[in-house]
Amino acid sequence: MGDLFSGYEDGGFFDEAFEPSGAVRPHYEAVVARLRGFSPDDLDRRERIRDQLFRSQGITFTVYGDVAAGSGRPEDAGVERTFPMDLLPRVIPASEWEVIERGVAQRVTALNRFLEDLYVGEQAAIHDRVVPRWLVQTAEGFRREAFGIPVPHAARCLVSGVDLVRDGDGTYVVLEDNLRNPSGISYVLENRAAMTRVLPHAFASQRVRPVDHYGPMLLRALREVAPPAAGEQPRAVVLTPGAHNSAYFEHAFLARQMGIELVEGRDLVVDEHVVYLRSTKGLQRVDVIYRRIDDEFLDPVVFRPDSALGVPGLLSAARAGNVTLANAVGNGVADDKAVYAFVPDLIRFYLGEEPILPNVETYLLWDAEQRAEVLDRLGELVVKPVAASGGYGMLIGPTASDEEVARFRERITADPRGYIAQEVIALSRHPTLIGDRIEGRHVDLRPFAIAGESVEVVPGGLTRVALQRGSLIVNSSQGGGSKDTWVLDDEGAGIDAPAATDDPAEVA
Amino acid sequence: MLARLAENLFWAGRYLERAEDTTRMVDVTYHTLLESPASEATGSWEQLLEVLHLREAYGDGPIDPARVVRLLVLDRDQAGSITASIEAARENIRSVRELVSSELWESVNDLHLALGRRDLRRDLADQPYELFGHIRRSCMTIYGTASETMPRDDGWRFMALGRVLERAEMTCRLLDVRFSQLERLAGPSDRLGALRTDEDGSVEVARGPDRADFHAWIAVLKSASAFEAYRRRYRSSMDPADVVEFLLLAPDLPRSVVFCLGTAQQLLEDLSDGRPSRAVRRVGRCRASLQYRDVGELFEVGLHEFLAQVQERINDIASDAADEFFRQHPSGALHAIATS
Repeated sequence: MGDLFSGYEDGGFFDEAFEPSGAVRPHYEAVVARLRGFSPDDLDRRERIRDQLFRSQGITFTVYGDVAAGSGRPEDAGVERTFPMDLLPRVIPASEWEVIERGVAQRVTALNRFLEDLYVGEQAAIHDRVVPRWLVQTAEGFRREAFGIPVPHAARCLVSGVDLVRDGDGTYVVLEDNLRNPSGISYVLENRAAMTRVLPHAFASQRVRPVDHYGPMLLRALREVAPPAAGEQPRAVVLTPGAHNSAYFEHAFLARQMGIELVEGRDLVVDEHVVYLRSTKGLQRVDVIYRRIDDEFLDPVVFRPDSALGVPGLLSAARAGNVTLANAVGNGVADDKAVYAFVPDLIRFYLGEEPILPNVETYLLWDAEQRAEVLDRLGELVVKPVAASGGYGMLIGPTASDEEVARFRERITADPRGYIAQEVIALSRHPTLIGDRIEGRHVDLRPFAIAGESVEVVPGGLTRVALQRGSLIVNSSQGGGSKDTWVLDDEGAGIDAPAATDDPAEVA
Repeated sequence: MLARLAENLFWAGRYLERAEDTTRMVDVTYHTLLESPASEATGSWEQLLEVLHLREAYGDGPIDPARVVRLLVLDRDQAGSITASIEAARENIRSVRELVSSELWESVNDLHLALGRRDLRRDLADQPYELFGHIRRSCMTIYGTASETMPRDDGWRFMALGRVLERAEMTCRLLDVRFSQLERLAGPSDRLGALRTDEDGSVEVARGPDRADFHAWIAVLKSASAFEAYRRRYRSSMDPADVVEFLLLAPDLPRSVVFCLGTAQQLLEDLSDGRPSRAVRRVGRCRASLQYRDVGELFEVGLHEFLAQVQERINDIASDAADEFFRQHPSGALHAIATS
C-alpha cells in the first residue's frame, strides 16, 4: 500500500515541495514526513475538524444575496461558503523569505514615494520622463481630486498585497501590486489558527514565524498616519460598505483584531471639514479612517453622486488635513497594468536601487514596434485589460480559440492603451489534497505590507491555489482555495530542533 | 457605542419580544378555542388581530380562524407576523454580530434555519402545539443566551430596553382588548361591585370555575405567561380586577407593566449616565402613575382610557430614547439646511 504521495508527479513545472529528481526539498521534509504517516481516515478526520472550525467561525466570502436566493430553498438563505483551506501548508525557507521581504518593502517604498510626488509633490518622475504624463493621466485609477491631500509619512499605500508568482526556475516575480483595497489578510490569520488546531504536530518540529500580530501592526500604522492635530490618542475606525459586501467578514475581523469601531458611511458625518462618528453619547471626532470602500463610492460630493455608501464631505475633510484616509485616494493609478510596467524604473529613480523582485516581462501596446511583435505572437502570450483584476477579461493565448485570439487582436488595435501583453508564466505547483490523493496545483503568493513610519511585511501571506487541474486562475470566485503559508525561522527543516513546548495542544 | 448599532440592538430586543408574545397569544387563543363554540372563536381571533394591530392587514372578509393563524404565523411579508418578527430580530442581530456573543447569533440563526427546514403549513395543521412551543422556547433560549453571555454594557442595555418596552406595551394591549370584550360578556367584577356602594350591596358573583368568563381570563393570564403565578397568589379565585391588578401593577411579576417600566427606568438611567434625559423623566412619571395606584381607581377613571394613555407614554419613551441616543446630528447651520 502506498502513501498519499505515491504516484505524485511535478508535470514538468517548478514544484514547491519536490526537486525535479523527486527528492523532497529540505524545508518540506518535516511536513511531508508527517503526512506520509497519515491514513485516509486520519485525513478525513482532520478535514472534518477544519470544516467545522471554519463554519462555526463564519469565515466566509459569499454570505447572502443572489446565490442563496437563487436556489429558491429557504434553508439556503444564510448558508455561508468558506474559502477552502488545503491541509498541506506552503513552506518558505528563511533565506527565500528574506529576499521577498526586502523586495516587497522596496517596491512599496518606491510606490509610496511616486504617489506622494504625483499628488502633493513636484511630479519629478514625470518631469524627468521616467513615466509618461499622458499615461498617468489616462490611468483609470488616477484621481485629480486627490491633488493636495496630504498623508503623513507619505504612507499612501498603508496596506498593499503584492501578488507574486514563481516561474519555471522558481524565481519570484511580481504580478500586480494591489495598492487600493487588497483583501485576504483575514484568511492568513484564520488559516494559521486553524492549522495549529488541525495539525499541531506538523508545527512542533520547526519554528514557524507567527502572523497574529497583524492587528496591532495595522493599528499602529493607522495611528502613525493620523493628522498632527489629532493628539496623543487618535481615533481610528474601519469603514465598510456594509454586511452585504463580499469582504465584510474581513472588515469585521480587522475591526475586532484592532479593537476599533467598524462603521458604515451613515455612521459618519462631516461638519466644518471635521469627521464625526454618530455615537449614543453624541458626535465623536474621527482622525483616521481605514476605508474598505472604493474611491468612486467614498464621497458623493466629489465622486459618484448616487453612492449611498460614502460620506458627503469626506474628501474636503481629508484635504483640510483633519482626517487621514487609508489607503489614500488615487492609488489606483499605480495599479494600472501599463503603469506597473514602469515600477522597476520608478524604483531606480526614487530609491537609486536595482529592483530586488523583477516584473513579469510586459509589452506596451501603444508602442508600434512592441504592438507589431505582440500581434505576431498573440497565441503565445497573455493579454490583460489594464484596469481589470481578479483574472477577468484576460486572453491566455496558448489555450485560447482562434476566435478569441482574433477578438483580442481587434480590441488591441482599437484601444492599444487599454491592454498589455505578457509572456506566459509556468506558475509553480504545490502538492494539494484532491479527494483522497495528493496532486500538484498551481499557486501564487500575496504577502501583505504595512506602511506607517516604515514599511513592514507580514511573514508569509496568502497562498492561493487553483484547485482545478491545470487551471492558472487562483481567485476565490473562480474555484480557488488557500493554504496556510509558513515562513521558517531557521534555515533548513530542523527536524532535530527541540519541539515547541507550548505546542497548541491536541485541541482536536 | 455607534448609534446605528445601538438602535439595531434595541429593535432586536423588541422584535424578539414581539415574536415571543405573539406566539404565546396565538397559542393560547388556538388551544382555548378548541373547547369553545364557533361563534366565540371568530370573536376571539378578531380580538387578537386588534391586539396586534393587524385587523386592517387582514382585510374585510369574514374572520376565518385558519386564515388568521396563517397571517399571524406564516406571512413573512406582514410586519408583526411571527416569522416576520423572527426574521427582523435576526437581521438586527446579524448587523451587530461584532457586538454580541457568537452564541447569541447562533441561537437566533438556529431558530431561523429550523423554521426554514420545517413545513410550517403542515405543522400548523397537524401539531401547532409543538410548533408554538418550539418558537416560544427558542425565543426564551435566545434571550437567555444573551443574558448569560453579554456583558452588562450599553449594548445589553439597549437590547433589554427594547424588550421591556415592547413587553409593557403588549401587556397593555392584551388587557385593553380582552377586558372590554369580557366586561360586555360577563358583567363587572365583584370586587369592583363591592367598591361601588350599591343599595343592596351584596350581589353574589361567582369567583370560581363557575364564572362564565373563567376560561377566558385564564387565557389572558396564560398569554402573559402568568397563570401559574396568579394561582399561587390569588388561589382559586378568578376576578377580573385581580387579573388586571396582577398584570398591570404587580411589582414582582416580570411581565407586569409596572415591573417593565421599573426595569426600563433603571436601564435609561444607566444609559444616560447622569446627563439630563427626557426619556428618564418620562419613564419615571409613567411608572409613578402606576406604582401607587389602587386597581379600583383605574376602573373609576376608566380602564380603557388609562391603558390607552399608558401605551401612548410608552411610545413617547421610545421616541425620546431614539432622539437622545440614535439620532445624532451636527449643530452646524449647513446641516440644518441639508437635513431639513
